[in-house]
Amino acid sequence: MTATLNHRRLLEIAAYGLFIVVVLAMPAFMDAFWLNRIGKYLVYGMLGIAISLSWGYAGILNLGQGLFFGLGAYMVAMSLKLQSYTSLQQGSDTPVPDFMLWNAEPGAVTDLCCISQASFLWIPFQAQWFGLVMAVIIPTVVAYLVGSAIFRLRISGVYVAIITLALVLLVRLLIIDAQPLTNGFNGLTDLGWLTINGFEFDPYLVETYYLIAGSLIVVLLAARWLVATRAGLILQSTRDDANRARYLGYSVAAYQVFFFTVSAGIAGFAGLLYVLSAEFASPTFMDLAFSISMVVWAAVGGRSSLLGACIGAILINTIEATVSESEMLKEAWKAIIGLLFVLVVLFLPRGLAGLSQDIVGFFESRRGGKTAAKPGIAASEAGE
Amino acid sequence: MIITRRKLLKTSAAAGAAGLAAPYFFTRAAQAADAVEVGVLFSLTGGLSIVEKSLADATKMAIDEINAEGGVNGMMIKPIVEDGASDPKTYNEKASKLVIQDRVPTVFGSYTSASRKAVLPVFEKRRNLYFYPTYYEGFECSKNVVYTGAVPNQQLSNFIPWIIKNLGKKKFFIVGSNYIYPREMAKVSKILIEQNGGEWIADEYLELGHSEWGAMVKKIKDSGCDVVLSNVVGDSVVAFYREYKNQGLTHDKLPICATVTSEIEIAAMGAEFAVGSYTSFPYFQAIATDRNQAFVERYRKYVNDPKAVTHHALESSYFQVYLWKQALEKAGEATPEAIREGVKGQVFEAPNGTVTVEPENLHTFLTPRIAQWGADGQGSIIDEYAAPVKPLPYVAYGETADNLFCTAKGLDTSKL
Amino acid sequence: MADVIFIGLSLASILLLIGLGLTITYGAMGVINMAHGELVMVGAYTAVMAGIYLGVNLLVALPLAFIVAGGLGLLIERLVIRHLYGRMLDTLLATWGIAILLQQMIRLEFGLSFFDIHIEGLGPGLQNLAIPAFLNQAWMIGDFTVQPYRSFIILLTIALTVVTWFLLYRTSLGIQVRAIMRNPQMAAACGIDVKRVSAYTFAYGSGLAGVAGVMMAGFKTVAPDMGSSLVVDGFLVVVVGGVGSLLGTVAASGFLGQVNGLFATWTNDILARAIVFGLVILIIMWRPQGLFSFKGR
Repeated sequence: MTATLNHRRLLEIAAYGLFIVVVLAMPAFMDAFWLNRIGKYLVYGMLGIAISLSWGYAGILNLGQGLFFGLGAYMVAMSLKLQSYTSLQQGSDTPVPDFMLWNAEPGAVTDLCCISQASFLWIPFQAQWFGLVMAVIIPTVVAYLVGSAIFRLRISGVYVAIITLALVLLVRLLIIDAQPLTNGFNGLTDLGWLTINGFEFDPYLVETYYLIAGSLIVVLLAARWLVATRAGLILQSTRDDANRARYLGYSVAAYQVFFFTVSAGIAGFAGLLYVLSAEFASPTFMDLAFSISMVVWAAVGGRSSLLGACIGAILINTIEATVSESEMLKEAWKAIIGLLFVLVVLFLPRGLAGLSQDIVGFFESRRGGKTAAKPGIAASEAGE
Repeated sequence: MIITRRKLLKTSAAAGAAGLAAPYFFTRAAQAADAVEVGVLFSLTGGLSIVEKSLADATKMAIDEINAEGGVNGMMIKPIVEDGASDPKTYNEKASKLVIQDRVPTVFGSYTSASRKAVLPVFEKRRNLYFYPTYYEGFECSKNVVYTGAVPNQQLSNFIPWIIKNLGKKKFFIVGSNYIYPREMAKVSKILIEQNGGEWIADEYLELGHSEWGAMVKKIKDSGCDVVLSNVVGDSVVAFYREYKNQGLTHDKLPICATVTSEIEIAAMGAEFAVGSYTSFPYFQAIATDRNQAFVERYRKYVNDPKAVTHHALESSYFQVYLWKQALEKAGEATPEAIREGVKGQVFEAPNGTVTVEPENLHTFLTPRIAQWGADGQGSIIDEYAAPVKPLPYVAYGETADNLFCTAKGLDTSKL
Repeated sequence: MADVIFIGLSLASILLLIGLGLTITYGAMGVINMAHGELVMVGAYTAVMAGIYLGVNLLVALPLAFIVAGGLGLLIERLVIRHLYGRMLDTLLATWGIAILLQQMIRLEFGLSFFDIHIEGLGPGLQNLAIPAFLNQAWMIGDFTVQPYRSFIILLTIALTVVTWFLLYRTSLGIQVRAIMRNPQMAAACGIDVKRVSAYTFAYGSGLAGVAGVMMAGFKTVAPDMGSSLVVDGFLVVVVGGVGSLLGTVAASGFLGQVNGLFATWTNDILARAIVFGLVILIIMWRPQGLFSFKGR
């Protein structure tokens, strides 16, 4: 039994190692366009990790992860918008986003302080670091507040899903409505590039790719470390049986809030990276469809496996891109993706990660001549 | 201050180098010399495919027609069609595929401003060329976009005075979908209403795609207005007109004057809900010229649907390909810069009449028209400018035909 | 004031019309059916097609849409849902896939568009459902405008609610359904054919979605993606009302409809919608089990 476990541990390390090597080696095989595209998918992979952390490990199905992704994206986009040349040409000394002028009442002062109500909120974002930091802090704080409210009331399962869903729709509505401040439905566009020490991160440069890839690897390893800590193990026990964990004296809510918050922070960070790569932020990041898609990516990859969920996100998006660009399937690709989701849920309930574990288990049992222990993901239906 | 596109050389060179350095499986074979590839980027899936599919069809139809006539400078046009999937994220990604990977010299695409804004960084920073066929709110001065739809001065400058003078209506209720186009249209309308001695009583918005009009129509009813100016977009339009009639309002007493309601929405709601209402557009399917009727016939045959309707953005999608063709013929070489220089001042006899690309701001001269919708679902054109009107994307800031804010040098911000 | 209440009532009836089918599939069977909106859409297309090819009006299309959407629901249950009972969140994902699939099927005219065959009434565009004249001529009683179409929706919703109540609480099939709702294992042990009853229940819920689709078609518009926003509202109503509680769904839709109507009239529609979302969040936090509920599975 111990031998098997060690064996599994080795395989897991190998899988992580292989993934990291492949991600780092990508630039050798791709042109600028594909590098940028894969970079975006790595960001989605980070979202997969965030979902896996809250859903797979904590049993919290968040159908509003797009909220945190979107908040992160908007924060950094605000800073980059103020750096853009479009903000520097309004005839004032300090930058003012062009859309604020279009939306301003006639005769308004062309300055961030008072061009429109609450436009002063933009002032600190003139410093690039402020936007970058806020992109992680704001989602984290919001998630902490929401999580505290939800989990202290012992709300669980589908109710968490509905609350987060309503929340993301609410915020989306407000952002679109606050057009003078947020440019509404069009989102923040015409952004400048992230500039560090005079180096500009053009989204099509290899350096930008490595910035994203490096961030992903750090997040992946940190998340992997986190779930293996004592806190992570306790968290998984709360997922499997909240009452028993409570009975054993653990503050279930505290662990749930913590992981919900970490997951949101990762999503916010992903939003930040996405903006660097795609050069815009839009309220469509908070569309329900996008939030559900994230969950589906994680489900396809394997919700209880951080690496699986991450790869699931990258894989599905790559498939979507390839299929939607093939001449034959240009208009049918969505139907194919829909069918794929159904089939995966039906036949691969534990996703690709589960499938690979089963395959490994199969070979082990053949070689060992005995049945391997079932992978410990019996609780794939966490949260119900 | 003039916009400078700084650091572009650097990045293009870098992108080019990366492309050269990696001639692996994802890069494409070199383009054949007897063909010129162009991108066609509309939503074929998702909610916006309601309209955008027809724009993609019109674009492909123009390409096929040109190819049947022998192509451009002996080259066949080869469209690379991509699906924007009604999502700005996808739009952005596909645009960068077309520009950076496929290296097409031009892309035709977009219906909504949101999708145009999402692809714009790709075209500006990679110095490519985008042809945008939809009426929009203005406020854009890009060297990398050719705009062939109407801007506010081509839809409203004729409309508001006409309503006040000919319909004798003075109290406007302005209603629109909640995003930038309707809000800017409202802004321009208010200026025009006040200039012409009318007044506006309310300026209300509904979520895009909202279809519950009970409360809003009641507000209109109780407001004491005598005309409704609608900048409502998309399928909300259908729900709006239906609710209007359901609550007992009629267009002969309280007409809806719209800037977006086109043949598509009329067909979808049923003509009886719109009879007597007005729309201002440069193009209507009902334009009685032979050229237009032949165009409608060809389009119907092309999409294999004898009841298909044509509308303003569709017609622009069609004629902009011809403008592009003429530009390429003039330019000689298929690079974005050469085509941009070539398209300046191009004239084409489009189904709606003569269209000309303004060399300064790359917007298009169009002929404002007002139509009243009839029981057959077609507009009868009751007012029409004698000549095309110059496009003024910054009209809300006081831009005039003699004093352009957006010129070939860029946007002159001192005038804003 | 009467017309404000009428607007609220009308909003409520639409919420209930969507929620009625959901409360059954979700409450009785623990299936989060994200394709419910697409079943509404299928109902709407049935009405459009019936108008084009059979020349019948909206009233005749009502039972037709019930049969078509119900049949499709039965098919979905047999092929997919059946294998997912007890895995509530998986049903959400699988039906999300089904929703995408159904939308695209309509856009592609079941794939025929690849062969350049066009079927009138399908495709990516908007469709028009003709409305009988007597349903769109408003008439006045004093100051109050009677809107026949909305009144018809309200009456139909009441009728369907009563029928559903009757089926659930006054028939033997209904007793079986409620038994399954509370404890499927025990129900099976008592000799109830859980699989068969569940399939019928799902089909009935889907059929109701189809009927809702016909009514939606008459005052909104018919398009492949018309259902996706409806399903969210439907779920909010069902969850606020309390899972599996018919009374709860009625109460929740009545309440949220009136709140929405009042605030839309006093302020604007955007704020009203934001308030509804906010209220839903607060209610779920206050009573996660819903306004009316019982211990179920």
